[in-house]
Amino acid sequence: MKVFLTGGSSLLGRTVAEQLAARGDQVTCFQRSPSGTGTTDVLGDVRDAAAVLRAAEGHDAIVHLAALVAPRPTWEEAYQVNVVGTQHVVTAAARCGRLLHVSSPSVAFDGGPAVGAGTEPARYRGRDAYARSKAVAERYVLEHAVVPTVVIRPHLVWGPGDTQLVGRIVDRARQGRLVLPDHGRALVDTTYIDDAAASIVAGLDRTGDSDEAVGAAWVVSGGDPRTLAELVEGILAAAGIDPVVRSVPAPLLGVAGRLVGTFWPGDEPPLTHFAARQLAVAHWFDQTHTRRVLQWQPKVGIDRGMDELGRWFASHR
Amino acid sequence: MATAPTSAGQPVPIPLSPSAAQLSSWGLDPSWSRRVLIDGSDGRPVDWHVLDTGPGPAGTIVCVHGNPSWGYIWRDLLTTLAPAWRVIAIDQTGMGWSERGRPRRLADRVAELVSFCRQEITGPLVLAAHDWGGPVAVGASGSLDVEALILANTAVAKPGGVAVPPLIKAARGLVDLSCRRTPAFVAGTARMTDRVHRDALQAPYRGADRREAVRDFVADIPVIASDPSDQALRECAAVLDTHDRPTLLLWGGRDPVFHDRFLADLRARVPHADVERFADAAHLVTLDAPVGPVVARWLDGLGTRRPAPVPELGTTPFESVLASLGVRSNDHSPAYDGPDGVLSWADLESRSSLAAHALHRGGLRPGDRVSVLVPPSCELLIAAAAVWKVGAVPVVADASAGVRQLRRLIRAAAPAWTIGTPGTLALATALRFAPGSSRAVFGTFPGAVDLSAARSDALAGSAPFVPIEAAAADVAAIVHTSGATGPAKAVRYTHGALAAQRDVVGPLFGMHPGDAFTTSFGPFMLLAPSLQMTCVRPDFDVDKPSLLGFDELAAALAKAHVTVAWLSPASARSILDSARGRSAPIDLVMLAGAPIPVDMVEGIRAVTGGDVRTPYGMTECLPVTDGTAPDRVGRLGGNSTGRPVPGCSILITALDDPATPRHDDTGWGEILLHAPWMFDGYEAAWTADADTWAEHGGVRYHRTGDVGYVEDGLLMHLGRRRHVIATAEGPLASVAIEGPVAAATGRTAAAVGVGPTGTQVLCVVVEGTGDLRVASITVRNAAREACPHRIAAVLEGRLPVDRRHQSKIDRTALAADVTDFLAGR
Repeated sequence: MKVFLTGGSSLLGRTVAEQLAARGDQVTCFQRSPSGTGTTDVLGDVRDAAAVLRAAEGHDAIVHLAALVAPRPTWEEAYQVNVVGTQHVVTAAARCGRLLHVSSPSVAFDGGPAVGAGTEPARYRGRDAYARSKAVAERYVLEHAVVPTVVIRPHLVWGPGDTQLVGRIVDRARQGRLVLPDHGRALVDTTYIDDAAASIVAGLDRTGDSDEAVGAAWVVSGGDPRTLAELVEGILAAAGIDPVVRSVPAPLLGVAGRLVGTFWPGDEPPLTHFAARQLAVAHWFDQTHTRRVLQWQPKVGIDRGMDELGRWFASHR
Repeated sequence: MATAPTSAGQPVPIPLSPSAAQLSSWGLDPSWSRRVLIDGSDGRPVDWHVLDTGPGPAGTIVCVHGNPSWGYIWRDLLTTLAPAWRVIAIDQTGMGWSERGRPRRLADRVAELVSFCRQEITGPLVLAAHDWGGPVAVGASGSLDVEALILANTAVAKPGGVAVPPLIKAARGLVDLSCRRTPAFVAGTARMTDRVHRDALQAPYRGADRREAVRDFVADIPVIASDPSDQALRECAAVLDTHDRPTLLLWGGRDPVFHDRFLADLRARVPHADVERFADAAHLVTLDAPVGPVVARWLDGLGTRRPAPVPELGTTPFESVLASLGVRSNDHSPAYDGPDGVLSWADLESRSSLAAHALHRGGLRPGDRVSVLVPPSCELLIAAAAVWKVGAVPVVADASAGVRQLRRLIRAAAPAWTIGTPGTLALATALRFAPGSSRAVFGTFPGAVDLSAARSDALAGSAPFVPIEAAAADVAAIVHTSGATGPAKAVRYTHGALAAQRDVVGPLFGMHPGDAFTTSFGPFMLLAPSLQMTCVRPDFDVDKPSLLGFDELAAALAKAHVTVAWLSPASARSILDSARGRSAPIDLVMLAGAPIPVDMVEGIRAVTGGDVRTPYGMTECLPVTDGTAPDRVGRLGGNSTGRPVPGCSILITALDDPATPRHDDTGWGEILLHAPWMFDGYEAAWTADADTWAEHGGVRYHRTGDVGYVEDGLLMHLGRRRHVIATAEGPLASVAIEGPVAAATGRTAAAVGVGPTGTQVLCVVVEGTGDLRVASITVRNAAREACPHRIAAVLEGRLPVDRRHQSKIDRTALAADVTDFLAGR
């Protein structure tokens, strides 16, 4: 199968491209800088409709991962990449036959805990520019895609080389700035990178053979939730850092996040309100239906994932 | 709306029906509201308003309201039972939104209901009625062919000893002022239920001219025999007395008007009635409680009756527990020895006969319920024996649950009699435990029959009293579940079951006639006399089992040759804590109130030098197993409760599917049991009763709500079904996880599930101090290594325990705490 993949330079995009290539698919990666995957690279920007159409030409399917994942994007930035870019991909997909769109569980995050949340379509919320733009994009995909389409929302993806979750926790711990809401008591599920990539590959395959999977969004996670405290402890132990973590009452952290997110002068604030809320309340999901429909199961999981992370840190010290 | 008179005094036309907007705001479908002309009792047509859900295949339920209300009170039935049933809630003449006409008496209302049903209904008919709609519906049922009758907080007669409800009396005294000229009666009734119902309840009665029938209805209630409707009410009562169709009584337990004595009166008239009592609902029970689903389920089950009574009862000659008591009536050795004194067998026999005589002369009759508020003492044994001699039914409620709970249980039992000490009678009277109940006392109490030895001499002159011989199927006692693991339930025992229990307990637990036994459980003291054993009561407050320490036990043992002791875990713990190396020899100790930790078994074995057993049983059936091999741990976890007692059959069924027994020896599931000595049913709890019985091979089994399995003939106990953790990979039994984790961490552990059923994750809490927190990495690793299942979170903190045994971890409360904790904020 010839697969056109956008966003190949991200950790998740790279891993999906590698898994597809490893099983014999012909992969073209489309992004602004080289993907480093060893597959065919086409450099370009999803905001450029013509470039997307041109590059996607002749493929059997599209995996759309490209997105703006900055901590504090303006609405215009987020809209241009996440919404307009997705519209271009949907147009291109009409000529390619199938589409797998990668979304985010944050499109449905309402600030409250998700405790064993089911697969029924949650209401779109989108509490910051990123989540809101991803919500608009997902809805556009589900309403406008004319070819078989599956949407995957991978939840808290992490692993070796991850600069988002692992990178930020380790950086802040090294700077002595890591604070957890309420000692990190919230029960949070995560997805190890290889498992997340495999779920996207499975979702792509289901565009061809599953009426149930098509036309719906599926939250994907490891199905093995842990308290945030344990997760952070595990990541810091893997990185060889002493787990000195301060705790702040969750409501206070939320307020602090709101202030910092609004007034922080630099590019990367230590914390946004959205991030603070997301880590202060439970996030885990009922995966039974999802796993059955996607015909996918996590293979690595959290415990072996932590071992992998430890090895990676040891070799990158 | 336009209910007020104009300035000229001319009443403006009153809208006859509520508007669609009003109906919608009251949660009623506006299309249900319609009008129908019926033949009035005065020969003229009357314009009725009804709420009619339209055709339903199962039949029609006609609902009759009381005073002052209207069809709205049947909202839950209307919304739940349609469209399977056609539900019609009528507004009686002059009431609700129906036409105001000449005053109606009870007989008129009965005639009008009959004429409505004949005119409107074809096919199966069920009548439902509330309050003073009850006599109307009951009266009408005499002229109609009804499939079933559903009555809610109503009466067809005033039970003996009960005063006219004060509210009715007050309303009658100033009937025009309270009921018509002012909305006091209407508003007062509306205030008996939740605020959301007030507008709907009062809407049809705004304006004095709309309330004439409210006044006339109250005035028509017969209080004395010369009242015009007295004869009509007697006729209704007579209809009910011969009523043989299925009947469901829905009862709000907090009704100041129709309290539980009225329920008892109805039950006496319709012994086959099923009763669902809602302890927290008041007079307007159909609005206060979710009656719809109960009625739907009850109507579904019409025609299917529960399995025939236990056949074993007839196979052996029946000797009641009372009869076995009489065997030693000439024996002057102690039947009881306690801090309050010694009671010989001969005295027990003679004093209980005198007391029975006094009670019988005071009006106590066979089958009457008697609340026995006597602490464990000589008097308790005398009172119980006396009540049985009259053929009445003692109601035993545990005072350790607190006065509020005690009051709840006794009010629900609606005893015709209360026997107490002057102290307990004063409390029961002040707090109105049993309105209208007659009283008997050991000592003196105003208006109470005196049962104490000295005063009973007064009876010597009257005709001798002959004790009544109970039949095996007669109700012998009402006891209560502890409420430690859910709301307390009233449990009914027959004489046959008590006799069977006596016959099995004696040989099984070495309780031989002539020996003595001691216990920390108050109600167990009633067991000793029937086994012809001396009961030695240790000197401690039986409501606080942890106050029975080593010294109190040793003092009890010094009084008689005590061979057997039944101890609660709280007492056992306290004895171990205060033994300080001393020993107190007992041949056999039963520790009841599972789960019993292995270290407690070993400790008691060391202190007593005897055999220690942990028999399994519950209020509904005791014993179930013999309690052997208490330290054996099963393959799937959990501790041995011993072998099933001969005569008790046990089934292990799939969880939540009592119809499917597991025949393999590999799986665990819910424990179902049947024994000749098990209970007869739950009182006034039709749903709980229906839930608890499962039929297999023509025998009815009690669903225990416990889970376990059988291994090498031993019943292994895995905790409560409610505490099973329903993960996506399958169910996990809490106890099976807790044992290994406790062993690995050296601390008590509790396993709970967090999340929606079927997708729960397993969380473990190890005992610590203070609020919940994530456990240290050492504890976490130890717990995870010991447990073959994935644990989402290992926490530590204080573990909530139940009040009665102080040993059962309240996993339901703990699960709620853990869920809150892990949800974050």
